[in-house]
Amino acid sequence: MLGFLLQRLIQAMIVIIAMSVIVFLGVYAIGNPIDVLIDPGATAEIRENLIRQYGLDQPLWQQYFTFVGQVLRGDLGTSMVYNIPVTDLVFSRLPATLELVFVSVCIATLVGIPAGLYAGYRPNGIAAKAIMALSVLGFSVPTFWIGMLLIMAFAVGLGWLPSGGRGDTGSLFGIPTSLATADGWSHVIMPAINLSLFKMGLLIRLTRAGMVEAMSTDYVKFARAQGLPDRQIVFSHVLRNISIPIVTVFGLELGSTLAFAVVTESVFNWPGVGKLIIDSILQLDRPVMVSYLVLVVILFVLINLTVDLVYARLDPRVRLKGGAA
Amino acid sequence: MSKHLLKSAVAAAALLAAAPVAAQELTVGLRAGPDSIDPHWSTLGSQAEALRHVFDTLVDVDDTLQLQPGLAVSWEAIDDTTWEFKLREGVTFHDGTPFTAEDVKFSIERIPEVTGPMSMTLYTKYVDSVEVVDDYTLRVTTKGIAPALPNDFTRLFVVPSETGMEAGNEEFNSGEAAIGTGPYRFVSWQPKGDLVLERFDDYWGEAPAWETVIRKEIPDDAARVAALRSGEVDLINYVPASDYLAMQNDGDIETFVSDSIYILNIAPSVKDEEPQPITVNGEEVEGNPLQDLRVRQALDMAINREVLVDIVLEGLGTPANQLMPEGFFGYTDEIGDKPYDIEQAQALLEEAGYPDGFEIDFTCTNNRVPGDAVVCEALAQMWSRLGLTVNAQALNGTVFFPAAAREEYTMTMSAWGTLTGEAAYTYGALVHSKDDEAGFGNFNRTGYSNPEFDEVFDEGTQTLDPEARRGLYEEASLIAMEDRALIPTVILQSVWAAEADTLDFAPRVDQETRAYAITPAEAAE
Repeated sequence: MLGFLLQRLIQAMIVIIAMSVIVFLGVYAIGNPIDVLIDPGATAEIRENLIRQYGLDQPLWQQYFTFVGQVLRGDLGTSMVYNIPVTDLVFSRLPATLELVFVSVCIATLVGIPAGLYAGYRPNGIAAKAIMALSVLGFSVPTFWIGMLLIMAFAVGLGWLPSGGRGDTGSLFGIPTSLATADGWSHVIMPAINLSLFKMGLLIRLTRAGMVEAMSTDYVKFARAQGLPDRQIVFSHVLRNISIPIVTVFGLELGSTLAFAVVTESVFNWPGVGKLIIDSILQLDRPVMVSYLVLVVILFVLINLTVDLVYARLDPRVRLKGGAA
Repeated sequence: MSKHLLKSAVAAAALLAAAPVAAQELTVGLRAGPDSIDPHWSTLGSQAEALRHVFDTLVDVDDTLQLQPGLAVSWEAIDDTTWEFKLREGVTFHDGTPFTAEDVKFSIERIPEVTGPMSMTLYTKYVDSVEVVDDYTLRVTTKGIAPALPNDFTRLFVVPSETGMEAGNEEFNSGEAAIGTGPYRFVSWQPKGDLVLERFDDYWGEAPAWETVIRKEIPDDAARVAALRSGEVDLINYVPASDYLAMQNDGDIETFVSDSIYILNIAPSVKDEEPQPITVNGEEVEGNPLQDLRVRQALDMAINREVLVDIVLEGLGTPANQLMPEGFFGYTDEIGDKPYDIEQAQALLEEAGYPDGFEIDFTCTNNRVPGDAVVCEALAQMWSRLGLTVNAQALNGTVFFPAAAREEYTMTMSAWGTLTGEAAYTYGALVHSKDDEAGFGNFNRTGYSNPEFDEVFDEGTQTLDPEARRGLYEEASLIAMEDRALIPTVILQSVWAAEADTLDFAPRVDQETRAYAITPAEAAE
């Protein structure tokens, strides 16, 4: 087990190093961040001074190692646009994204898996056909468009929900979150539904496919012949057997939603990290780009690790390699 | 019937009762906000716009960007290199300390210490030293003759000298050091989030109408419109053209339209060898046809500016006849409306030796400003009526600007805004011969160089008397425009929207949304 964790940790380090090198090279290839940031009226002298001030006149490898040195001392740098330490900037916006993703993943799972199970259990019923049709819409209609429709219907037309932004924050188990207040929930529910649709569609289809396949297998036939009720067959045998692909996709989707919920965040003006990273890319705010992507890599590694651990729990045949050693 | 009447009476009463409450708070949805609360951090336009509520500038500008007293009530050049500013008396900062000349001196000296990549030293580059004569008199010694110093000081925000050089971004963003003399006190701000402001009761100027102002940053166009339509915000800026059309047929929404400072200009390269070849029947033409004034005049005359405005831009524009809007310092009245005359244009082209036209590449920005790509295509069509074959291409700014800077295009179109409201900024950068030492011609990508223009313009930059300088700049504008150094097409317009009959708001040419200049509509009171 320890060996397995260690192996994962080393992998993560390699990915982080590779990623930071790529970002440095990428920004270097696009051009000098100062040229993007600078005021059109600035003189050549002001420009030279700035380039020196930010160390952009040094060779790339030297800039990179200065950065690495700072990171090792726990300093991720300061945003060139906001002049705020990058960690403060990212962590001031991360809770908003986390709560949005949390609610949307809950919705996707709680609706998607039961709906998929049902659609696979009675694949020829009208309800199953309707569920499948909706699931196609869920991941083929663009997110921003559905978002706009939701806003037009519930915020502009009916006036039930606010059109965007994050609501009042309260404290839940000592964590400041908008999920602790009614106002917060009224703000989060629409973007969360919007964000959940794609995942919901995916989960429905995956679950249904697994379900249809499993229902025709021998072990289900035997279980039925044994006289077990369908409820017990589905929930304690089939569900467990079809959950490996579901958990895999769930993990991947969770990661990408956390990191890149930018479309929903823009449409609903949600103050999350997705918007922050897009802006910092457009402005070539290198410290923010590098630090944020490092964070995303760590996030993906953690999620994959959790997924692997869940595999082992779900399927006794999956033995963690390091565990046996 | 009577029931209906009663209903409307109740509604009216409710409205009346609600009006005073509603009048206390203004929520504005804006496309962009500040990057910091430190007024000396960045030259960004949306930064100045937001911080103007909290801090005052030494010199203010009116709605056509012409100079107006701010914290300084008057200024004059007492000799070639010294400007004297008389300061306003009886002004206090939000913490109660009185405003004096020391604060201005401190603010000027603080800028180089704290400014970021969008460096504010741009506005202090002429300052050599600052001398406090008495509490309300300040003398600034300049490096050389600097007639534009008061223009530069329209972005000089004043902070109290007690702030100290150590205070930086953190102290300002937390509000600890966010103390100005402006009409509003700072309450709170988050990067990309809301800026909350509270009325400052001891403000020296006219008291603003709103007790609380919330400036919400909503960068997404559709989200901003939705926020207005759902009543979450009272006013939005940068309404997209498509929504503007819909709003005009909507009685619930009122729109405010104003010319912006941005003009779409065509830049024909007049270098001896054009960067992308100009051809006739596939053969490269000898020399550069664009060097011939008659060809440039023909290009100008073949543009139907009325059509560009009314049809291509859906009404959101004004025909332009020079590089700045009317009322700007150096705008000349001597150029009339630009005529559209395809026959005379054809005659000119024939005279120049191109009776069958030629084939030319034309490159524009895409989505940098509203309407640039559609205007680009429309121009290509207009010129094809002249007999030219135009290969129009609208490119993303990240591709266009670096290549334009390398002077790789024969003819381009992009937007330029006269941010300072005076001619030196625009003509000095775009039309003046390239001169790195003097800092002129930084954006002259056409190779245009006219000694006659340079002479008149240079004299203007060395003339302290404003009226004499204005005359020289007008003359320089006329020379450049007669020469078709650049060909202006349309002034772009900017749109704000609010719920109908709720606000009185005079839009500004610099597109700033100043909460203290907005009042509740008469009808609601």
